[in-house]
Amino acid sequence: MLIQQLVNGLTLGAVYTLIALSFSLVMGILGVLNLAIAELFMLGGYFGFAVLMAQLPLPLALIAGMAGAALVAAIVERIGYQPFRAAPVVTPMLSTLGFSIILQNVATNVWGSDPLQLTDEVLSGRFNIGPVSVSAIQLTVLGVTVLLVALLAFLVQRTSIGRALRAVAENRDVARLLGVPAGRITLIAFMLSGALAGAAGVLIGVHYAAITPYIGVEIGLKAIAVMVVGGTTRIWGALIAGPLMGVVEVMTVAYGGSQIRDFVVYGFMILILLLRPQGLLGGGRSDQGQRV
Amino acid sequence: MLRVRDLVVRYGAIQAVRGIGLDIAQGEIVALIGANGAGKTTVARAIAGLLPYRGEIAFEGEVLKPNNAERNLHHGISLVPEGRGILGTMTVQDNLLMGLYVRRDKAQAMKDLAALLERFSILAERRHLLASLMSGGEQQMLAIARALLSKPKLLLLDEPSLGLAPKMTDAVFTMIQDLRREGLTVLLVEQKARQTLKIADRAYLVETGRVITSGPAKEMIDDPVVSETFLGGRATAAHP
Repeated sequence: MLIQQLVNGLTLGAVYTLIALSFSLVMGILGVLNLAIAELFMLGGYFGFAVLMAQLPLPLALIAGMAGAALVAAIVERIGYQPFRAAPVVTPMLSTLGFSIILQNVATNVWGSDPLQLTDEVLSGRFNIGPVSVSAIQLTVLGVTVLLVALLAFLVQRTSIGRALRAVAENRDVARLLGVPAGRITLIAFMLSGALAGAAGVLIGVHYAAITPYIGVEIGLKAIAVMVVGGTTRIWGALIAGPLMGVVEVMTVAYGGSQIRDFVVYGFMILILLLRPQGLLGGGRSDQGQRV
Repeated sequence: MLRVRDLVVRYGAIQAVRGIGLDIAQGEIVALIGANGAGKTTVARAIAGLLPYRGEIAFEGEVLKPNNAERNLHHGISLVPEGRGILGTMTVQDNLLMGLYVRRDKAQAMKDLAALLERFSILAERRHLLASLMSGGEQQMLAIARALLSKPKLLLLDEPSLGLAPKMTDAVFTMIQDLRREGLTVLLVEQKARQTLKIADRAYLVETGRVITSGPAKEMIDDPVVSETFLGGRATAAHP
């Protein structure tokens, strides 16, 4: 039972990790909380569902979810962030909050407020390892998450674009002096962030075999909690905090009941803020630049 | 090579640069000296394209757009900013690779990097070290080396001796002379006026956002205005 719940928690945590990375990527580079990410996650799910309902395979649904959410993220960046770049940090945050509400409204009008359900099972089959039963979908969620995190890590740590992202995150002026087009890199950060959120949307949609226009709010807020627990100045903190929060949530439901789930999850976040405001992986002051 | 006319830069209500003009010819070391807060750094940042301004900055006959650092680097203007501007959370190697960011000739760029690591052997030894863990002098070398990798025609150095021990300051000034001998043009922004004037061809003395005198560097050492306002009394008293 315990190991089974652990696997379930890790699956949920994998999705939290992807969305938290999505938040952290923009937060790390720009110091701005892009609140539209929660709805990019939701839209990614709908784009993926559209592909799956056309009887196309899951990898195509993932690509559609990621590409669609990345494109919407680009629009958010151009309209909701760029014009307010020089404004106090709360201004672009409020602007992305406005975008978030608009996107949810658009989804409600396009797809309706009732849950959209997958009629056909996307992936069937279960694998029994001793007392633990893992579904093919759970394995897919975990596998795709590991793959996307590895790709992101490679991109950020080993490529020219990744170095440019890190340079802009650390010192925008110095990055510009080195020829980095900071505006374009910001757009890339938004799009990457959108793609991660979109992938998470497809994965959670497939996992629950249903999606609603309101799914972004609940899971998006949890992902923000994951980012805080991991450390807002270190995006890789989400790799530990995501699975941890997923496991905490699933264990709470299993052993304490779903009525105290949010109390425990957000209580844990507040506890971390009180005891270790920099998050589990965040360092001291000298560490502030190492965000990405 | 570089022509600056009627340069005015404001930070909100504060006018930091008030109509400065200067010229730099190919192959020169030109010094911009003055006390702290005189506006030297602002001039260098405006030339590098980090700030909006009024007036005109032209490089090799082309008028530059304000606040367009990426484009200015493509033109061949590279600034090593005050405080070195190293990316402390990256390794020495990643910092150097960032210096190659604008290079499209990747094969030649990697050869240039190899040659540079031979020249700055300390950087080769520390290439996998976080740049923030190096000493001030080593960081300054890294900052200059990184700037050189973009193949600049005009190198702007803002307070390269800041925070360095005298021996390291001498090494940096020797390096600047070596770079000039190799054909690089240098605008040197410094508070260490006497030492700067010894290696510069020409100099501009800046005070409260204006050029108050200019001329051949060797003559300026003996210039009573320079001596009084900077090398001797006032500036020294204001900045012990």
